[in-house]
Amino acid sequence: MTLQKQPTADMAEALRIAMLRADPKLSRFDPLPRIISHDDFSNGHCGWSQLVGNYEDDLDTMLPGYAQHTSAMLSTLGHWDAGSHGGMDSSYALKIATRPRPGAQNVTIKRLTFRKRGPIRFEMYFTFKPEATELKLGETDVRSVGFLFDLQGGDSDASAERVMPHVRFLNALDGQHVHKWQYKSHQTEFKHVGSGDRILSHYHLSPDGWQDLPGGAQRLCYNEIATKVNWTYLRFDFDLEAMKALSFQCNDRIFNMAGFDSIRMPAMKNLWCMLNFALFAETDVAKRAFLYVDSVCISGDF
Amino acid sequence: MLPENITAIIARNEKWLGEAATEPYEAGWAREAVFFVRALKQPIGVAPEAWVEISPDGMHWAPEGTRFRMPAEKDEISVARLSGFGNWLRVATRFEQGAQSTVLVTLHLKA
Repeated sequence: MTLQKQPTADMAEALRIAMLRADPKLSRFDPLPRIISHDDFSNGHCGWSQLVGNYEDDLDTMLPGYAQHTSAMLSTLGHWDAGSHGGMDSSYALKIATRPRPGAQNVTIKRLTFRKRGPIRFEMYFTFKPEATELKLGETDVRSVGFLFDLQGGDSDASAERVMPHVRFLNALDGQHVHKWQYKSHQTEFKHVGSGDRILSHYHLSPDGWQDLPGGAQRLCYNEIATKVNWTYLRFDFDLEAMKALSFQCNDRIFNMAGFDSIRMPAMKNLWCMLNFALFAETDVAKRAFLYVDSVCISGDF
Repeated sequence: MLPENITAIIARNEKWLGEAATEPYEAGWAREAVFFVRALKQPIGVAPEAWVEISPDGMHWAPEGTRFRMPAEKDEISVARLSGFGNWLRVATRFEQGAQSTVLVTLHLKA
């Protein structure tokens, strides 16, 4: 039985790979066997919504980090000097724009749940630039861009935790070009919001607690003026069973994730099987920072 | 496929006073847009006129032509309907000294 089953499985995998490679929209990705979502922003916002903070009774109770967020938009990367840059194979990309003040951030989120605790893969093509308000390169204007997952085990799991892997590309800090990958494993303080005790909030993208990913220095293609962009590939593999990062790749570099850890906290009473993905941008100066995402593919082995 | 249609919150619980405007929003894919401005708290002072602005680049702005009065009471909603606006959109206004309003600005876009 095993002798017959193995060639069938091999053939099925070969057929799957062949079909992926022949599809111009998917060929640039390496998805695991099940595609959970494939977001090509020429088809709309694809469920990437604004990360809104928790509140109760009054919006004034929302933590300031969340209050600054606005909705992501569909952009053609229109530049004042060269017109629309466009995406990789359509006119559109998702754009996450900060406000024009140092340290301002914006976050977009896609909220799902999972049906099996196993490996998942997050892939995207992205780029970033500051708003071209000056005739300068502005290579140190964007402080960081990055992504995070917000995960929690199922309600019947023996040891469920809420786990939040965070990764950012620290491009610049206080005007200095840094260009390195960082992660965050320190839990941020929860605060009660509103008048009751049911609503908690924590701004996990606060500037503190970031640590360097070992060997995580990387120089990306930034190009010669503020209105020229190039798309960059990123892949992050995570195991929902062990709640550990498996692999991280950006363009031609694959990073060792042995030293990586996530923000971890006890399971919360209303987030079972949570599978959230968020993308963020942060500016270093009084100029808007833009994270553009051409496409995202989220896949799993289940 | 159904035409794209999105609701964007481009200002939420922002206290506006003096010169005020929403963050730039790209909407080039949309054929029509509707701005809603709601006062979340009782406005202070005179509710000024507001106007819609368009831009070639998201940095330099010109009046689109649509003008409306900012909401004068808590939970009152002002509306601006638009078409033929290119790509960039924002709402701008100017409050007199001492006047202010805390606003929620919603932008509905439809392909």
